[in-house]
Amino acid sequence: MVKRLALLPLLLGSLTLASGCAANRATATASPDVNWTAVKTFYVVRTQGDKRGTENLIRDDLVKRGFSATGGPELPKESYKVDAIVTYVDRWMWDITMYMLELTVTIRNPANNFPLASGNSYHTSLARKSPEAMVDEVLTNIFNRAKPN
Amino acid sequence: MKLQIQKHPSRRRSLFSVLAVCACIAVLAGCASPAKYEAMIPSSFEMSKLHPQSVSVSASGGKETDSTGKPQISDAAFTQALTEAITRSKTFSRVVQGAGGDYVLTVAIISVDQPSIGFSFTVKMEAGWTLKRAAGGAPVWQESIRSQHTAGATDAFAGVERLRLATEGAARNNIAQGLSSISKLNL
Repeated sequence: MVKRLALLPLLLGSLTLASGCAANRATATASPDVNWTAVKTFYVVRTQGDKRGTENLIRDDLVKRGFSATGGPELPKESYKVDAIVTYVDRWMWDITMYMLELTVTIRNPANNFPLASGNSYHTSLARKSPEAMVDEVLTNIFNRAKPN
Repeated sequence: MKLQIQKHPSRRRSLFSVLAVCACIAVLAGCASPAKYEAMIPSSFEMSKLHPQSVSVSASGGKETDSTGKPQISDAAFTQALTEAITRSKTFSRVVQGAGGDYVLTVAIISVDQPSIGFSFTVKMEAGWTLKRAAGGAPVWQESIRSQHTAGATDAFAGVERLRLATEGAARNNIAQGLSSISKLNL
């Protein structure tokens, strides 16, 4: 009886840990009012405290898609000489190694910072993806939504 | 093992303590419930003008709640809360379903930033609000609205419940700010 009782905490602990082990989510939304064919140049605004280079991954992915993209710190809004600015929020987690748990990318109007499109991907440890794959997934979902008018 | 535990009641007590703690963790960790529309309706409004026109509303960017994940705001719940808030605040004279209104209000939920751990949870939300004439043309008003709400440790015992309260509060504040901005427009 006591042995069985001793197993119960292990079972409950395992259930608790397993409940969040393989969650996947990938969503995107884009404004239908934007003429997406006119959006060709981007500026990726580095998130404060980003030491993992997510800004560079987003910039490189945009370039790979044929856009002109640069990146750097946030600028006064009149300084952006691009069609759209890109902001992002990345969340990282440790499980044996560090991995990107969640990434949200938002494409904004440089004139007023209004969000034109946004995408989010969330993959927990057992379904983890590389940061490059996370960026690619989010941007693919955004551009699938942002169909040219 | 059996004999040892029978001889040491303190060990048995600690075993039951571990069991109780594990049971509590299991209960608290699971079963996230989605944000409820009633809780996203502001209780008071700061209105400058009441518009005599009618409006149709829609929301996008919301998410369905996974029971093992975090409480989310669905498009349907946010639309329902927004509809009810417009009706109660009289921002517009009437909310119409589908086509047929004078204006079209769309709200895109861009981000809902939720913490993972903590005693008090602060949820930050950003939504893009766009108001257009139903007849078409450029938006008459467009604004990115950021809001937040903190649910303290005393608001709910379970963390997942506290997170839902904070999420609903952030949505409630977003709706209040959005309608307040619309009420300042000359339509």
